[in-house]
Amino acid sequence: MSLEAINEQLLRAIGVGVALVHTPTGAVRYANDTFGEWFGPIEDEARLPDLMAGAEIFEALKQLEASGTLTTEVSFKRRRRSMTVAIEVNRALDEEEDLAVLVCQNISRIKELESMIDSYAMMVERNTHEIRREKEHVEKLLLNMMPRTAYEEYKSFGVVAPRLFDDVTVLTLSFANFESIIAEHDPAVIVSELNDVYTAFDRIGEQFGCERVRTTGDSYVAVSGVPDPVRDHAGSVASAAIRFLRYLEQRNTSHPIKWIARAGIASGPVIGSVVGVQKYIYDVFGPAVSAADRTRSAAPEMEVAVDGSAERHLDARYVIEGLDGAGVLRETGKAGAMQS
Amino acid sequence: MREKTPYEKYGGFSTVSKIVMRLYDKLLDDDDVGPFFDDVDMPRLIDHQTKFVSSLMGGPASFSDTHIANAHRNLTIHNAHFDKLKELIQETLDEFSVEPGDAAAVLGAFEARRGLLVED
Repeated sequence: MSLEAINEQLLRAIGVGVALVHTPTGAVRYANDTFGEWFGPIEDEARLPDLMAGAEIFEALKQLEASGTLTTEVSFKRRRRSMTVAIEVNRALDEEEDLAVLVCQNISRIKELESMIDSYAMMVERNTHEIRREKEHVEKLLLNMMPRTAYEEYKSFGVVAPRLFDDVTVLTLSFANFESIIAEHDPAVIVSELNDVYTAFDRIGEQFGCERVRTTGDSYVAVSGVPDPVRDHAGSVASAAIRFLRYLEQRNTSHPIKWIARAGIASGPVIGSVVGVQKYIYDVFGPAVSAADRTRSAAPEMEVAVDGSAERHLDARYVIEGLDGAGVLRETGKAGAMQS
Repeated sequence: MREKTPYEKYGGFSTVSKIVMRLYDKLLDDDDVGPFFDDVDMPRLIDHQTKFVSSLMGGPASFSDTHIANAHRNLTIHNAHFDKLKELIQETLDEFSVEPGDAAAVLGAFEARRGLLVED
């Protein structure tokens, strides 16, 4: 077999479609088997515009500059399949005739894969979006259970190391008539009332720089100075405590259920930590919490009792009436040293 | 720890994409079910298959029954077509060495939606 014959065989069998076209008329002078397979059987006198997608290719061909190259893509259906062929057109180096060489590659598979990746990417994007929303939701829930700094620590390390806070002020409040309210009212009503009251306490506390630690039924515990230090922690808690009771007094005048509370405040060290592994909750406990509890039980109804530990920190805005160590808190209306 | 979904077990998107392409080829080559895809454009068909195969294997896609019903509303699909389709899916899963139990689960999920597609 001559070299020329081998070349011809090769050209015919190669997986690339090759054709030679007379540019002015579109007459197909030569086409290999692959070209014929894709664009239709090439008979004698075949013209490019009459072939599958040929008109489109012929249009492109006309724009071929004298010595230029152009590439184009055509898509059509063959046996239900969308077929995409990339065509490179070169001007043939023939002085006598205006011929163009068409080299065609089947890029259908690439197109299919591109579509698949698009489809998949969209799916993944939607899922990512959903996951992000879920995450925000979980974060919001966790931030209800622990301070942000503790949450950040938990997120990074999976645990929150217990921390000793040397000097903070704790407020505990409980309802004197809780038992009788429970006995007299529907549980749903009580829960909704407590929800109201505690939400109001949270809002007031936030205004004064103290944060709720927990509620257990009839008791509400808040602290100032955990986990971020607060300079006037005793003043913050005292101001909040007075307003808690003021809020209740106001509320009692217009609501059927009258909440009678007593509150106690004390200063000192506490430990702040996430307690529990499966059911974690950020908790604060220690001497200041116990002292606040003790002080509270000594408070008259609808009064805030102040432990000596907290009294020391309070400035001229407050005065403590009564016995030393568990006196009753009053606001003086004077400006405090801490405020200036 | 939760159990791996078949999607994860068989190699995630890398495998799913191959299964989808294979199934796509089989569907188009088949003279019984192929004609249903005559007028469906390629990106849409692939999108459909990718989501479908992913969701059947527990991957990141969800396919609502309403969506399936809408997509097949104007097609006259008979039980024989549906059976053929299941056969092709079974064949494809076999080619990818999906365990019989997992393949049965996929086909079961498919069978459960027969009523959404088949007219009679």
